[in-house]
Amino acid sequence: MKTMKKTYITLGLAAVLAGMNACTNLDENVYSQVNADKFYNNRQEVMAAVLRPFTHANAWAAPTGQVGYWRVNELSADQLAWPQKGRHGYDGGDWIRLHQHTWTVDDPNAWNPWRLMFWGMGFCNNTIADLQKVDFKKIGMTDQDKASIIAETKVLRAWHYLKLMDLYGNIPIITTVGEPLSPPNKPRAEVWAFIEKELKDNVELLQPLAPAMVGRVSKAGGYAMLVELYLNAQEWTGTPKWDECITYCDKIINGDGGSLKGTVPALETDITKPFNNVNHTSPENLFQIAYDYTVGNFRFGWNGDLWHYNQRFAYNATFGGNNGIVVIPTAFDAFEDKDLRKSNWLLIGLQYKHPAMRNPSDPADTVLRGTEEYNGKPLIFVKEIRRNSEGETGEGGMTRGEENSGARFAKYLSGPQTDPNYWNNDFVLYRLAEIYYNKAEAIMRKNGNVATQPAVDLVNAVRKRAFSAADWPAKAYTTATLTMDEFLAERGREFIFEGKRRSDLIRFGKFTTKTWWDHPASNNDKWKIFPIPRRQMVANPSLKQNPGYVD
Amino acid sequence: MKKRSTFLKRVSWLGMMLLLTASLAFAQNRTIKGKVVDAKDRSPLPGVTVKLKDTNTGTQTTTDGSFSITVPAASAVLEFSFIGYETKEVPAGSGGNLNVELNLSSRTLNDVVVVGYGTLKKREITSAVTSIKAEDFNQGGTRNAMDLIQGKVAGLSITRTSGNNPNSGASLQLRGVTSLNGSNGPLIVIDGIPGGNLDLLTQDDIASIDVLRDGSAAAIYGTRGNGGVILVTTKKGRSGTPQFNYSTYVQREAIAKRPDILSAEEYKSLTTPVNNLGADVDLYSMLINKNNTSHYHNFSATGGTDKSNYRASIYYSDAEGIAIRNNRKQYGGRLNINQTGLQGKLTLQLNLATNFNKADLLGGSSGDFEQAVQRNPTAPIKNPDGTFVETTAYNNYNPVARLSQELSERDQQTTSGDAKATLEVIKGLRISAFGALMRNSWNDRQYRVRASRSSQNDYQGGGYAYKRNDLVNNRIFESTIDYTRTFAIDHDVTVLGGYSYQYATGENFSANNAGFLTDAFQDWNLGNGVYLTQGKAGMGSNKEDNTLIAFFGRVNYAFRKKYIAQFILRHEGSSRFGANNKWGNFPAASLGWLLSEEDFVKRIPFINELKLRGGFGVTGNDGFGNYLSQVMLSTGGTYLQNGVWYQTYGPSKNPNPDLRWEKKQEWNIGVDFSLFNNRLGGTIDLYNRRTVDLAINATAQLPPFVTESLFTNVGTVSNKGVEVIINAIPVQTKQLTWRTDVTFNNQNNKLVSLSNGKYSINVMEFGGLPSPGALGNAIRIVEGGSIGNFYGKRFAGFTDDGKWLFYKKDGSKGQAADMTEEDKTIIGNGVPKFMASWSNNVRYKNFDLTVFFRGKFGYQLLNLQELYFANKKWLPNNLLKSATTRHAKLDDAPQYSDYYLENGNFVKLDNITLGYNFKLNTPYIRSLRVYATGRNMATFTRYSGLDPELEDNGLTTGIDSRGFYPRTRSWALGLQIGF
Repeated sequence: MKTMKKTYITLGLAAVLAGMNACTNLDENVYSQVNADKFYNNRQEVMAAVLRPFTHANAWAAPTGQVGYWRVNELSADQLAWPQKGRHGYDGGDWIRLHQHTWTVDDPNAWNPWRLMFWGMGFCNNTIADLQKVDFKKIGMTDQDKASIIAETKVLRAWHYLKLMDLYGNIPIITTVGEPLSPPNKPRAEVWAFIEKELKDNVELLQPLAPAMVGRVSKAGGYAMLVELYLNAQEWTGTPKWDECITYCDKIINGDGGSLKGTVPALETDITKPFNNVNHTSPENLFQIAYDYTVGNFRFGWNGDLWHYNQRFAYNATFGGNNGIVVIPTAFDAFEDKDLRKSNWLLIGLQYKHPAMRNPSDPADTVLRGTEEYNGKPLIFVKEIRRNSEGETGEGGMTRGEENSGARFAKYLSGPQTDPNYWNNDFVLYRLAEIYYNKAEAIMRKNGNVATQPAVDLVNAVRKRAFSAADWPAKAYTTATLTMDEFLAERGREFIFEGKRRSDLIRFGKFTTKTWWDHPASNNDKWKIFPIPRRQMVANPSLKQNPGYVD
Repeated sequence: MKKRSTFLKRVSWLGMMLLLTASLAFAQNRTIKGKVVDAKDRSPLPGVTVKLKDTNTGTQTTTDGSFSITVPAASAVLEFSFIGYETKEVPAGSGGNLNVELNLSSRTLNDVVVVGYGTLKKREITSAVTSIKAEDFNQGGTRNAMDLIQGKVAGLSITRTSGNNPNSGASLQLRGVTSLNGSNGPLIVIDGIPGGNLDLLTQDDIASIDVLRDGSAAAIYGTRGNGGVILVTTKKGRSGTPQFNYSTYVQREAIAKRPDILSAEEYKSLTTPVNNLGADVDLYSMLINKNNTSHYHNFSATGGTDKSNYRASIYYSDAEGIAIRNNRKQYGGRLNINQTGLQGKLTLQLNLATNFNKADLLGGSSGDFEQAVQRNPTAPIKNPDGTFVETTAYNNYNPVARLSQELSERDQQTTSGDAKATLEVIKGLRISAFGALMRNSWNDRQYRVRASRSSQNDYQGGGYAYKRNDLVNNRIFESTIDYTRTFAIDHDVTVLGGYSYQYATGENFSANNAGFLTDAFQDWNLGNGVYLTQGKAGMGSNKEDNTLIAFFGRVNYAFRKKYIAQFILRHEGSSRFGANNKWGNFPAASLGWLLSEEDFVKRIPFINELKLRGGFGVTGNDGFGNYLSQVMLSTGGTYLQNGVWYQTYGPSKNPNPDLRWEKKQEWNIGVDFSLFNNRLGGTIDLYNRRTVDLAINATAQLPPFVTESLFTNVGTVSNKGVEVIINAIPVQTKQLTWRTDVTFNNQNNKLVSLSNGKYSINVMEFGGLPSPGALGNAIRIVEGGSIGNFYGKRFAGFTDDGKWLFYKKDGSKGQAADMTEEDKTIIGNGVPKFMASWSNNVRYKNFDLTVFFRGKFGYQLLNLQELYFANKKWLPNNLLKSATTRHAKLDDAPQYSDYYLENGNFVKLDNITLGYNFKLNTPYIRSLRVYATGRNMATFTRYSGLDPELEDNGLTTGIDSRGFYPRTRSWALGLQIGF
């Protein structure tokens, strides 16, 4: 009996122990995601990482529904606003503070661009670090491929810093993911010098702009970044760099950076062409976020921010709008009626339904209709932002909008859903027209803020497209008419909706001194840069807040 | 004096001895025969101990419940005792035949309580455990097994936020919030299977539900113990005469309260003629399934010998919701087989359960009911030509059209099988191996016809189809060894050790296509839509896995059965934890003192039972997502590579190799008592818990990190509270018994910290208010603040023209546009401070009546329906009537402020059941009971909304959302028959 018991015990314990030893392996098996160790096995995988920051720029550089560079650079300026329209659009007062320059260190408008842009910058750092570990020969790529890819990523990173410095001034400079944990922010001039060095060290290693380089950082794009850096150097560092600005403008104009068509970039004669749904072929465009909805299922989704709820029915388009951003009345009035940019790029008045969207059994179904104050009534966009339905007169204001208030966005048009290139528009970041204007501006500033004939010629070359041949002689600038104030207004007309207005107002000294519509002048230079977001101040004790902001 | 007393003693002793001898000498031994049955279902009870009182003479009942015992005298008293039943004393009497009924008991120290990896007697329990037996479950029709104990367990909040929707579950939370990001609900263990699926349970298959409320008990479940543990034990096979049981009910539901909206006439008087579309439509009623009927059937069989027995049950239920296109049909079964062999040393237990269900998921959505309130009441549903009318106002759609033109169904099967073999190696030493498999799979399908609004607006007028298949597998292996022995009479020791391995996978596949030329296929010819050829069809698949491995042990020790101690240690690792912190330790200790076993307490006549206990336990929570500690490259949209649009890849999060479990440390002290002949009993528990290392997305330093947040352990939450349970039997006569139970609990949740020194987050916000207006988040928690605080503006009145006025921080008043972040403050709290229930059970002869009240107190509700719909600015949509009465002065866009906060206190008459037990003298029917139940009969509250019982678990609490699934009163008629 006793041995029997012992056997039982031994057997029993053995069974239990066998169970216990069975497994202590706690590895996670990854199925539907991939980590860096298992990636970078071929050219496509390498490029997939290189291109990640480009698709990410969709979120912050373009008006696609997030609070990024585009939104704060436009909605804090004198052309566009997101007014409250009845029960819609109050949005915690975010857009009112942006318009009136009363944002705080807690503001989503301060945090979100930081979040999105440094995230994009982090992708660049991550790619550069990961690619150092890849054996390019093993995956059939050359050292030259590697140098070119890394140079492109570094220039792209420099562009992120350029735009971050524009918004925040004094920012940390990080080139390695995770190090150091709590970096201090550097003075703006130091950031500026870092960007200049990174651009100059790498821009000549880039490929020239060509159809194969659409949507990528080419030499032309890199030069355009240098142009922006030098044009704003006086504002950003206190030291003007007009000659350097002109030098790089000339490189682009002369074709040293390549072109999307032929060898030299060229201005379009039709003002819709840089923005239409085949604008990846426009010789005017130098750097753009490439989109392709029909094949790539990647789309420049401006509809959310910029369209009325029912605006899509005017185009036979498939994506709705949130009735958000509209043109400020004074900005609308800054266009002359004969200016084709007003009639082509802005939408005003009664809107008609696209024939394909009409109810065939209802002959009256020809116009767009409202859903709010004008529910069931024809939708007529008016330039005023005020309670017209309640008989309000006067200037209106940020809380006085209605569903039809303000002229609307029509600079980019998707085409109808039956179009083979439906919604394939690229978002243009730099185009030749801007290089012309920038060169002209540098010339004028060098010349004591007075126009010269070469400067006037450059501006007229672009402006001429906006008028009929009959109207043009009366509309062409002369050295007498192209004053700095006029130039600022003209820049506004040409680049409306392109995410550049705040920077222009700052460079022209108007951002904090000018009063427009529902925006009183602050006369306080602290508003020229945004505060370091409070949540980063809390997380990172090494950061120093920008002047004038109190945590 | 002294001498005399000694003498007297001696004499009396002598006298007693003489009497006793005489009685023995003259007693006439007689044999008593009889049968012992269950008082409720009258089934024979085998194995009942029948003992002559105060002697060691005794016997046990046989398989048919019969016994035979020789007693010395008619005056002798027989004592019948059986585990799980109340012990009964019966005079042997003069008759030769004695039939005895035993009542199931839930309130004796010998009751068995399930505690995970074994059972303890109630007397051995040293922690806060609630055990609810089947006879105390909520009666009537239930949608979910947890409905059976709603309101019965102090500290356990069970909330059905979508009323009696058959396709939605209940949210559960024990003793407050213990996680800011992970799961807060208790671990459900069904017959030893952790993470068991509630779908596999019907109300007639459950024998008991035991709830481990504090950490000193839950520590045995380690990384899953933070939310507490609910152990469900199903009914098992029993030896004896084979039995059948059939249980059924039919249930109808009616809306408890409708939203009070403007009639068409009232609407027309408020809006412009262009909005008068000529009809008068009661859309709300059109969404209601007025003739809803739910029914349920469970049929079971059990039998066998004491060596091998079984129980099998099959069921069918058809649950119809109060909304149209909102139902669930299910059927399934449960099988239990037990066998003992090898001279009683080896036992094998097998369980197999499955559930097939088919659900219509289309109806009952909150969006539909939002439309029912806000849709223009003059808008007809259909045009004269039969097409549906779509109103044009913002965010409008025709729900009747949606419900007739779309399809959304789920077809699900859940199966669980487990086997446990136990070998008693030597007396007291057992080893066992337990294996379980759970497989849950479901197929979803959707179709929207060509004429539907969705197809017309978004898919160029072609139909839209969608399919998705999900499969979740769980594999569990556990081996345990346990040893029970009494040393030197006074020392009772039980030692348990074990190993546990659980591997779970989840995978899914989905595809959609659109542009179907014909509605003939629905989703059954998915490749047929042109969106596939146009490259716009969608497809996706995903798979994840995780592993939990643990070693655990428990020691229970009792000295003289009155000083009791329990020690637990679980060493557990989860694949979800970071590489540097894979394994954690979860210890617990608790002590009990059974005062009623002490002589100085025994002298107090009215105390029957009295126990003091206290414990401390550490538990964990790994209830967050898989792969969160690692950097993964995720897709970021396509971009052009040499003319081809390829996906891009980049890191989607920051790495955290230090990620570890959330850790709760909990003190619990309690007292259990039973007084006045067990007529008044109860339990009082005090707890203080602190949960540290709460894992949330903390703000990462950006740069240098790539993304804005790091999933890491930063938060600390504390919960304190008291839980009281009182059971009383105010009336107990032969004909009439009234039992009443009261539970009460108070809880206090506080966010202690949101920082760990390296990482932190400054605030957490919840309850985003829906558009229009994007009014921000309603709830904000900060370090040192309470969980569930409403944070916003303070209402200061209206201007003469009806514009909002709010208080600025400095006390002055301003309009909405003048308000800044610093003017906001804490304006209320949505977590109930107190919860209470009161249950009454009256038995009179064969009738029984249950009346159950339940209430929650000390919290506020944010009435979003009023905020949006009771505002004239909501026109041209329809409004609540209160827009023209209570809020008539308001003429401004919606704003969130304390104006819309209301007191949420309520008491519900939650359940009334009247039953009758037939005592039939027929060999064919053993037991027969009929009952009628009404649920949610009345709500006593000052809250103006539809129902004050809203989500109060988790972090988004007390918000009465715009779309609201109707709460119902339900009526059930039931029958239970045993034969």
